[in-house]
Amino acid sequence: MKITGKVIAAGSAVAVLLSTFTLIGASASVDPKKAFPTKPVTLTMWWWGEQEAPGAQAWVDATVAAYKKKRPNVTIKTVLQTTDGLVPGFAAAAAAKSGPDLQYFWGGIYSQQPGWDGQIAPVSDHIPAAELKHYINATTELSFQGKIWTAPWYVNPSFPVLARTDILSKYNLKVPTTWKDLLKVCDVLSKEGVPTLAGGVKDGWFGGWLYSIIGGQSVTNKDVVAAVVGKQKFTDAKHADWWTRLQETKERKCWNSDINSLELYQAQQLWKDGKAAMTVVAGPDAPNFANAVGASKVVVMAMPKWSTGKFAGKMGSTSQTIGITQWSKNKDVAADFIMFGHEKAQLNSWYKLTGSMPADDRFDLNSVKDPVKKALFKSALPGAPYLENFIPAQLDADAVFANVQLVLAGTKTGKAAAADMQAVMERLRKTDRNLVKNFTAWNK
Amino acid sequence: MIKTAPSEYRFTAPRKLGAVFGRIRPSGPFLWILPAGLCVLFIFGYSVVDLVQQSFKYQGDWVGFENFLLVLTDPLFRTAITHNFLLLFTVPILTVMSFTCAVLLFETRKGMKFYRSAVFLPYILPIPVIGVVFGQLLQLNGALNSALRAMGFESLALDWLGDPKQALWTMSGIIIWKEVGFGTILILARLISIPLETLEAARIDGAGFFRLHWQVTLPQLRAVILFYIINESIVMVSWVFNYVYVMTNGQGGPGNATVVSELYIYRSAFQNNAPELAATAALLLLLATLVFIIGFFRIQRNMSKGVFDD
Repeated sequence: MKITGKVIAAGSAVAVLLSTFTLIGASASVDPKKAFPTKPVTLTMWWWGEQEAPGAQAWVDATVAAYKKKRPNVTIKTVLQTTDGLVPGFAAAAAAKSGPDLQYFWGGIYSQQPGWDGQIAPVSDHIPAAELKHYINATTELSFQGKIWTAPWYVNPSFPVLARTDILSKYNLKVPTTWKDLLKVCDVLSKEGVPTLAGGVKDGWFGGWLYSIIGGQSVTNKDVVAAVVGKQKFTDAKHADWWTRLQETKERKCWNSDINSLELYQAQQLWKDGKAAMTVVAGPDAPNFANAVGASKVVVMAMPKWSTGKFAGKMGSTSQTIGITQWSKNKDVAADFIMFGHEKAQLNSWYKLTGSMPADDRFDLNSVKDPVKKALFKSALPGAPYLENFIPAQLDADAVFANVQLVLAGTKTGKAAAADMQAVMERLRKTDRNLVKNFTAWNK
Repeated sequence: MIKTAPSEYRFTAPRKLGAVFGRIRPSGPFLWILPAGLCVLFIFGYSVVDLVQQSFKYQGDWVGFENFLLVLTDPLFRTAITHNFLLLFTVPILTVMSFTCAVLLFETRKGMKFYRSAVFLPYILPIPVIGVVFGQLLQLNGALNSALRAMGFESLALDWLGDPKQALWTMSGIIIWKEVGFGTILILARLISIPLETLEAARIDGAGFFRLHWQVTLPQLRAVILFYIINESIVMVSWVFNYVYVMTNGQGGPGNATVVSELYIYRSAFQNNAPELAATAALLLLLATLVFIIGFFRIQRNMSKGVFDD
């Protein structure tokens, strides 16, 4: 017994020491005593988000002004990026090693890749671990080699399906929660000339959303990364079946007929105008959509279930993030601004101005009174991993975006799309010589 | 017999400057172009050298022809090149349309200025504007199809940019609509400079409209038409990026239906973080364009010889 007691005591001591070292290690290079610069400092921030969280521009302006009051010697210039220009714009800046100090990144691979390519500095080198632990999804999507690369800004419940009960009830239909029910709704509404689902794939992005909310039902993020590194195949049933489901939606006329010639945001307008029964929107924007047509007429839900997989019927959760560029001369100041954005006043202000959820567990969910928002926020804590964030961006664009367009145009079968996705992945492993190594390390 | 160019084609330095540079007169022309030449060499020469270097490396390490192998075996690159090749078919259409428009404008007495402006207007419109306008106009439920349906032509209301079978040809139509203005003005400018006596003489000899323009006007326009053909061929091989980018949101979709080589390069460099593959594809595209440029200069030289021989 004595020996056991000693062992337990020793074990506990080791565990405490290890925990302490881990915490110290995570913030090894963060020096809290480091003096804040007093000379004039100018930071440039390239950001995105007004598109999916309207009101973000007002928050950015107000936060920059508030920060100026706190740190009069720091000036922050902000530049809103376009959806199509966000990734290429930063790639060009990174090639020139000149541009923003603070850069917006979508979560997962979009935050990882710049870290792997040496374009950003890990935020965990500049933000203390005690602070970072409050940032939602920081460890799920953004950690690599023991570092956290970008700082979550706001949560994107990904992606809610909005159903209009007024349109469905007009045809004696209920909100479908299973795939079978969804297809039945499609059959009824298509005869009436009403699209069940409004969508637009001309700009590609919606293809990635569909992959995540339909494809994510039968796999986990670990499965997806395994397929990326070659241990599984995208033609395996659990990876490929969603393509067949997508083909079914085309065959059963679930979508608006002009889905291929509309951009996503144009198509969502059909739902707002009462010309479609359901649509898929960005999480932060869902409350705005619901309020636009009357929250009482709207059900916010996950994509109807077709699989018995772990994440079927669950909404994904990802955080949109801010990173600090490798070439920034004022990394600590940039980190200080990020932390300022996570102070209570700014968290509340974000929610007030955008109606979406800040990526910080210190935000008081009890302050949310709107039932739509409350349900949405709770669904994102803890949500399913957002699948699109775990595949290479090139696979997303070359295989997912492109094949979703073709399947929905009716010129490609689901099976052929899965085969093409596998072929693109195999090729990608040859062209990006570090891909397998990086993804394997990320998956550990 | 040695033939020389007429005196007006020979270089003669102005007298005063000629006196200043008297001793180095043989190299005079080179001195004149030296500043511009250095400028061009720095801007283009440096880029090309860097491009060549990058295409043989991967993250700074020498990889030989590996990047070339990867690009040439990439189905997407081959699709892109095929699309560029298919776009070349618009060049003869453009040429015929430009020639026809120019002749009609030349023969139009009333309202020539208005028609000339109307034909030239698309050419000066910015491509992003064209992209947005046609993007809206050609939607499945857009203005064009609504008009067609209203007129009872339901079967002609196609998904112009959304159907992979039609998208590239729709794009070609838009490019033709824009580029034909340039050809028309170019040919018309040369047409106006043809001595009226030549045309009058042909008319007096009994040449009708078609015979006049086919047998008298067309041969006189040979050089300018050739320039236009070469220029438009280069456009189709390496200058259609803007059209594709703005009309497909940078995707080259639907699927890969409108991907062209420039978009492939752009996506490799700025979206897929593969600058080496982008450099390799760019080098291949440069070589393809060089073929056209060299071809143009050779034909131009042969034609100049012909002119001087005459």
